[in-house]
This record gives sequence, C-alpha cells and structure tokens, in this order.
Amino acid sequence: MDTTTTDPDAPAPRGKANPFAARSPRRRLIERGVRQMLHLATYFILLCAFFIFGDIFVKGAPVIFGKQYPGFVNTRFFTHSPETLVVFENPEGEEFRLDYQEFEAFKAANPDFVVAKEQRNSYSGGGILGPLVGTALLTLICIVVALFIGLAAAIYLNEYGSHGRFMNAIRLAILNLAGVPSIVFGLFGLGLFCLTFPLIVGEANLRAGAPAFELFHSGVYLSFQGFGISMLAGGLTLAVMILPVIITACEESLKAIPMGFREASLALGATKWQSIRTAVLPYALPGMLTASVLGITRVAGETAPIMFTAAAAHKDKLPWQEAGEGGFLGFFGQSVQAMPYHIYTVAARIPQSEYTKPMQYGSVFVFMVLVMLLASLSVYLRIHFRGKLKW
Amino acid sequence: MSQEAPAPAPDRRRNRRGAFPRKGFRVFGLGLQDFIRYFFGGNASFAIIVLLLICYFLAEQAFRFFPAHRQGLKIYREAGQEFVDQIKSELAAHSRLGGDLNIAYLSEVNASSQREDNLVRALQAVQTAVEDRTGHLSERLEDARETVEDLRDDLEDAAADPAKTAELQAALAQAEGRADALAPQWHGEAEAALDDPDIWRLDANPVKLTDAERVEIRDAVLRSEPGLDDVELPFFDALRKTSADKKAAAREGYAEFKTHLDALRGAARPLQSLSGDLVDIAAENRQRLDKFETAPARRRALLEGAEATMDPEERARKLKMAEEVVMEAPDYDALARPFYDQVAEHGKLAAQVRAAVVTAYEALPKPDDPAIRTPPGREKLRAAAADYAHLMETLTRVEKTLPKWRHDKPVSRTRGVLMFFAGRDWVTNSSWHDFYGLLPLLTGSFLISVLALVVAVPFSVASAIYVNQLAGRREQNLIKPAIEFIQAIPSIVLGFFGILVLGSFLREWSQGQLHVSPHGFVGSLPVIREIFTGICGFLNWVAQYVPGFPMSERLTMLNAGLLLAFMTVPTIFTLAEDALNNVPHSFTEASFALGASKLQTILRVVVPSSLSGIVAAVLLGFGRIIGETMVVLLVAGNKIQIPDFRAGLGVFAQPAHSMTGIIAQELGEVDQGSIHWRALFLVGMVLFTISLVTNFIAQRILAKYHVKA
Repeated sequence: MDTTTTDPDAPAPRGKANPFAARSPRRRLIERGVRQMLHLATYFILLCAFFIFGDIFVKGAPVIFGKQYPGFVNTRFFTHSPETLVVFENPEGEEFRLDYQEFEAFKAANPDFVVAKEQRNSYSGGGILGPLVGTALLTLICIVVALFIGLAAAIYLNEYGSHGRFMNAIRLAILNLAGVPSIVFGLFGLGLFCLTFPLIVGEANLRAGAPAFELFHSGVYLSFQGFGISMLAGGLTLAVMILPVIITACEESLKAIPMGFREASLALGATKWQSIRTAVLPYALPGMLTASVLGITRVAGETAPIMFTAAAAHKDKLPWQEAGEGGFLGFFGQSVQAMPYHIYTVAARIPQSEYTKPMQYGSVFVFMVLVMLLASLSVYLRIHFRGKLKW
Repeated sequence: MSQEAPAPAPDRRRNRRGAFPRKGFRVFGLGLQDFIRYFFGGNASFAIIVLLLICYFLAEQAFRFFPAHRQGLKIYREAGQEFVDQIKSELAAHSRLGGDLNIAYLSEVNASSQREDNLVRALQAVQTAVEDRTGHLSERLEDARETVEDLRDDLEDAAADPAKTAELQAALAQAEGRADALAPQWHGEAEAALDDPDIWRLDANPVKLTDAERVEIRDAVLRSEPGLDDVELPFFDALRKTSADKKAAAREGYAEFKTHLDALRGAARPLQSLSGDLVDIAAENRQRLDKFETAPARRRALLEGAEATMDPEERARKLKMAEEVVMEAPDYDALARPFYDQVAEHGKLAAQVRAAVVTAYEALPKPDDPAIRTPPGREKLRAAAADYAHLMETLTRVEKTLPKWRHDKPVSRTRGVLMFFAGRDWVTNSSWHDFYGLLPLLTGSFLISVLALVVAVPFSVASAIYVNQLAGRREQNLIKPAIEFIQAIPSIVLGFFGILVLGSFLREWSQGQLHVSPHGFVGSLPVIREIFTGICGFLNWVAQYVPGFPMSERLTMLNAGLLLAFMTVPTIFTLAEDALNNVPHSFTEASFALGASKLQTILRVVVPSSLSGIVAAVLLGFGRIIGETMVVLLVAGNKIQIPDFRAGLGVFAQPAHSMTGIIAQELGEVDQGSIHWRALFLVGMVLFTISLVTNFIAQRILAKYHVKA
C-alpha cells in the first residue's frame, strides 16, 4: 500500500520519487513529541511510586532509627505488642508518654505524683511484635497449604493432563478464581472455614446451633461448626486466594523444563512418577521458590480476606503464650493480630492525633520494608536462577 | 507391529518381567502410578471445587435474603410506614426547595458586608493558629489566670476570717506571680508565631489583607491574651457593628424576598403536623407487628428455658411468662384505619401547600434576575428551580398514589427483588425501617472504577508501548521490575497514604492553597524551593477550572479513584506489554519495509494488532479495581448516598460508599443469619458475578480476536 497517498501531511512528489527520502521536519517533530509523551507517562508513574515510598520512608524511618547511641534502632518497637499510649503532664507542664502498663507501674512507684491532663490513645503505644508474629503465622499456613495443592495441581496439568473437558474446566476455574475479589474470598472463608467446616469434637466442644452427628454412640461428634475466627481459617482462606497464582507460576516453571529430560528418563525405564520426581521437579524447584516468595508478598499484604476470618485488633498475649486447649487446633485455633489489619486499625478506626502518628508511620514503614524485601528477593531469585539454569 | 511375525509367547513374557518389570500392588486394576495420577488430578480439581463452594456459600446466604426482605416489606406496608413515607417524601422535597432558597437569600444579604465579615474571620483564623502554635504556654497561662480569678473570689468570700485571708493572699500573690511570669513568655512566642508568614495563609478564606489590617490583627491577637476576658478591640468592634448595619440595610432591600420565602417555608406546617401524628401511629403499629412476628420464637425460647431450669420457682415464672406472650394476630384493618381516615385530609393540605408554594415561588426572583448579584445566590436559585419541579412532580404523584394505597395488598416477589437491585436507600439499624437498596453502593463502585480506569489506562498503555517498543534493553530492565514493585505495595498502605497525604494535598489544591512550607525539607533548598513554589502557583491556578473544586472533604471518590488508578497501572501494564510482545516480528518488519516510520509502525500496526490483548488487559484491570476493598474503605468517604449527578464532572469530588467497602465495614458487626448479614452476602454475590462476567468477556475477546502469526 502506498502510504503517501493516504497521508495528507507528506508532500506527494517526494514520496513517489524516493521512498527513502528524509521525512518532513514537521513529521519528525510530531514523532518526537509523541515519543516524549510516552516517555513522560512512563516516568510519571515511577515518580509517583518514588514519592509514595519516599514519603513513607522519610516519615517512618525516624520512628525506627534514632540519632544517638542508646537507640540507633528502636528495639522496643519490635519487642512489644500494641498497647494504649497514655500521654500526661506533671503540674509544671512537662509531657510524658508511657504505655499503659508502664503508666500503671509509674503511678504505683510515685504515689504522690500529680497527673495532669491525662489522655489515652488506644493502639498507639508499644510496638508491633504481635502483628508481625501473626502475619508470619498466617503466611506460613497459607504458603504451606497453597504450595502443596498448587504444586500437585500444576504437576497434573503439565505432566499428566491431556486436552479434554476436565482440563478445560480446571483451566477455566483457575482463570476465574484469579479474578474473584479478595473480599469475596473473605465471605467464602467466613462461610466455610469459620462457620461450617466439619470437625470431630467431643461433646464439651460442640458449638450450639451447628449441625452435629454422633459417631457410633462414642460421645464423639462430627460437627459442622468450623474453626471460628482463627489463624487456621484465615490461612486457609488466603491459601485459596493465591492458589491460582501459585498454580500458574508452578506450571510455568514446569513448562520450562525441556521435554528431553522426561523422555530420557522414561527411556531409561523410569516410571512416570520416578521421572517426574528425579528429572523434572529438581529443575523446576527454583521457579517454584520464586513463585512462593511472590505469593508470600501478595498474601502478607491482604487485609480483606482475614478481616472476618482471622484478625483481632487487640491481643494481650502472643499465640504461644496463650494458654489454649493445647494441641494443633488449640494453637492454630486462636485469632491473631496481623500487620495489615493493625495498620487499618491505627489508620482508620482510632481518633487521629499527633500521638498516633509515630505508630502509624512506624508500622507502615516496617511493613513496607518487609514487603519490599520479599519482592526484591523474588526479583533477585529470578535473575539468579535464570543465569544459572540454562538448557 | 501387527505386520511383524508374531514373537514366541514366552519371550514376550520374559521381556516384560526383564527390562520393564511391572512392580507393586494393584487394587481394582489400578496400580501405584494410577493412584499418583489420581492424587494429582484430585488436587487439580480443587480449583473447580473451590469455585463451586464459593458459589454455594454466597448463593445459600444470598437467596435466603429475598424471602426475609419481602417479609420486611410486608410489615412496612401493613404498619402504614409506606403510607407515611410518601407524605414524608413530599415534605422532603418541600424543605429542600425552602433550604436552597434560604441559602440564596442569606448569600445575597451577607454579600453586602463580606469584607467586614472576612476580616473578622481572618482575625479568628489567625488567633486559632497562634493558639495552636503556643498551645502549651497559652493553656498554662489561662490556667494561671483562672486560678487568680478563683482566688480573688474566695478572698472576697473569706473576708471575715483573717487567718484564711492571709493564707489566700499568699496563694494569690504566688498565682499572680506565675501569671505575670508566663505572660511575657507567651507574648514572645505569640510574636514569633505572628512573624511567620505561614500563619497568615488563612485556611479556606482567601482574604487579601492590607498592611494596616495586618497590624490591626496582630495587635488584636497580642492584646487578647489567654485567660483575659472582655478585651476591648475597637477596630474589630467597629467592624462588627458596620457589618451588622450593612446586613440590616441589605435585609430591607430583600424584604419582599424574605416575605415570600417565609410564606413558602411556612406553607407545609399543617402537613408536617399531620405527618408527625401519622409517624407516631405507624411506629406504634410497627412495634406491635414486630412483636407478633417474634412471638412464637420468644415463647419457644421461654418454654425451652423452663424445660432446662431445675429451680421449680424459676420454671413456674418462665411458664407464666410464656403464657403471657401475646400470640393472637393484631387487627390489621384497625391498625390501618387512621391512615385511610387521613387520605382526604392529606389531599386538602397538599393542595394548600401546592397553592401557597406556586404563588410564593412565582413572586420570588428567578436566577437571571438582575437583583441577584452573588454567584452562589444565582447557583442556589437555579438549584431551587429544579427543586420546584421535583416538588410539583412529587405532589402530583403522591396525590395519585395515596388514595390507592392498601395496607393488605400483597408484596410481589418482583418488588422484593426490585427494591434491592433498584433501591435508592441503604439504611440499617434504624428505628423506623431498614432499607437494603443496592444503587448507592453500585453507583459509588462504578464511578470510582470509571475514574480509576480513565486515569490508569492512558498511563499504563503509554508506558507499555514505551517500554516494549521504544526503550532500550537497559531501560527495560529498570522499568519493568520497578513497576512490579508497585504491584507489591499492599493496598492498605496505599489507603493509609490516601488518608494522610493525598487527601490533604487534594483538598489544599482544590482550595488553591498549595504552598511550599518553609520548615520542610524542600523549603530549605534555595533553588528547588523556587521551582516548587512555581509549580504550586500553576496548580493553584489550574484548580479554579477543575469541576467540583473546591472540595471541603479529604476523603472523596477522586482520592480513591486516583489511588486505585495507581494500583492498577501494573496490572494493565503487564498484560498490555505481553500483548504487544506477542505481535509477530514479521508484522513490524513488513511495515518498516513499506517505509513506515517507527511511530507509524507502532500506532498503525503493532497497537491495532494487539488491541484485543490491550482491551482484555483493561477489562481485567477493571475487575481488579471493582473488587478492591481497603483503599475504597479507607479513602472513599463512606457516605451511603447516590452521588449528586447535577454537579456534572464535579460528582467525583463527593464522598461515596462502595460494595466492597460496605461488606468490610458492616459484616463484622452484624448478627450471623440476620437479614442484614444476608444482604451483605448478596452484595458479595453481585460482586462475584461482576468479576466473573468481566473475566469471561476478557477471555472471549482474547480468544476471538487473537492475531496469529
């Protein structure tokens, strides 16, 4: 097709005479302008990101790092759980900030101290140990479950499955699952894991109102009562949520293994499973590692799915300090504090004042740094293994 | 194989056992390998199971909402609340008209003394700002002064008692000393604060002060020390007086306006009192009906309690209470009679209102009247014209429907469904009636998503084109991970940023108040400060022409939309970049061979052939935005109301609520299994459906229009 005839801007004779002639200056100017606009759009996005990171780092770092010797790092922030912050003054107008327990101790130690202008800021004192531990546990449960199921599913899809109706259904389900809003997963987790998951319990632990069936007159019941608001429910909900991500990533890394590996192994007389185990999985492992780190990054930041299934705004004790019923369910059946939920609480559910700022920015800063470290780790792992494994 | 000569049978058997032996057990003809296969297959089908379970759990709760909702509507009708709400809608339309006209009137009257009022307001603003700066000191000074006052009073009371007098005098001297010591300190700090130009940037009240006025304000602030009452400020007292005089004069000019306005506003008083009476009756009816509805359950609970208790006295008491539960149905006709009786009365009163409003409104000035001088006045009069039409429409409608109202007309299933999907109110925990209408949430969600897409799509597609087609290898390796990092930012962090930083920035910008703080980091750098000041000035100038500005809220749809746009950029970018990458090289090469330039190739060959992928990317981005919870919950303002579309594009400057936000906000506080709980699950179901449909369309587009090499 002759472009010059459809293009009114270009001088016709030049185009006809010599298709390789230089373009008109006006055209070149437009071309450069559009190029610059695309350029600017790209860097504007990066600038926004830079500004957000910068703001959080500049305002959050002073909470964690001090300028002189005792307190280069504010260790208290990492060794205490959130508490109420009490701000008060002595009659001379000096201001004191103490966590609630310290405040009680202080009052007991100095009985004749006159406390003026006492003001309490909930969740603004102490540190973020509880939320950090809770998020770590939730992520752990989630990643163990999701990786197990996701890996198995990916192996089936890539190694065993052939084209067919079942495979199409699975692929469609995975695609659709990836698009479901996280809050809907929260509703689902609440409905299934918190309220109706079947458990085998003794008579003492039956939850009123849940359907239960006695097994063989043994005093042991199969009760559809769920885990309640607990780590287990939250972790499983999160696992279901990132399942599509994990499956897709695992499948990608399995796909990258050359067919020759499997064929060679099969030709040597290995069974299908033997060849998968010895000739495929070891080489796919780095890719899966990257995928799981990526999955952790996503899961750690999610708030909506754990809001009703696992999170508690306030807990006095860490999970292992709580005297539970013992055993697996006793430990994982507790609700926990979690970083994103804690940030939600301090950012939106408590009255704002200058005393709440350090906690807010400190938590967000630590959380961002953690998530960013994980994200960098996944980028690093990808680049690292890409260089190493080549066939 | 079949054509080869058949090998001897024993050989074949030996072969099987030899090189490829079949080991292991078999159950029902299935070997270990089969079990492994089925194990993996089972795990793969997990995705299907989960999807089905999600459908089941949402649907189970959601569809049980409709019968309960219908029952609620039935009671709403039987109690007569439906009847009353129609009258209330008339009154609401009337009071909106009156309110808008009143604002127009006040704006006209106050315009006469604007300068004076602004000066007084400026004084107050500066005073507050100085008080904030010197907060601690001024509180202590105030305390000290108060102590002095108290002691003086005590001293007067204790005049008869010499010992006490002496004691009090000593205390008084000490307190006075403290106050006297504090006062100069306070003066020092206050003067320092007044020297700071920042304090003179008066929030939301852009007054240009002359130097003389500044001196007056400064003087007044310094004179009105904390803790001193009745400080005389002649300049401002005079200002206040002038302002009052001017207003009185202006009021006289608008006396006719005021008479008609009062006539208009007063016209609905009889209707109001009728409505008030009926509201009481309906509320009582409602209580009675609710009691009847819950009676069997209450009785059962009491009987069960009696069964369970061991104490005979307690059991007798509970049994007696169970007997006393009123089980018989109320007389519905009797309950509804008062409403039927008032239909004629209402018709008469409504006609009166209509007549009075029409006369008064015709006599009032119209928006283009030259007597109306202020822009807000004109704007409100224009709004009042719309209100007037709305009121007339409402009166006509109610006049027609009210006589036809029947308390025993059954509520149809369709109405129960429609009242949810097309309901305009979402009111819960109310003492009157709970409404579950999806529209406010749906419009909020969609408006935010549309805004976010409009902002995000150009940026993400542009950068995808740039990175894929124009950027060098090194630049690609820099930008792609950077954008992936954006994807890793948790949404709660963005929401936090929106509350604390973006919200304040947008509000300041919308009010034309952007500035570089001299205390900040940027303010301390000489050249950069100038650049930033220039940018701020430019933005402040732009703000005048942005629809919806100035905003009074920090948390708005605009704020949420911008954050969500930022959030979806990586999603759309990655998918669009993939799509561009999939365009076969032969296409671009052919285009270059025809003499097209790089840009021509990109815009006419590469982008069109990857358009399906880009559209799918945008759709998936939309799915992500509409399902996003935390940013919307934190930042969108959470006001359950259909946004006012009369504002045009300015609609985005209003707060709104969303479907995801309402679930997150309310589910934690609702009884499990209640109608409210089910309504929230139904909202979840709507969300789920939207996301599935979006996903489906995106997949179809990808499959159908995919360009193959």
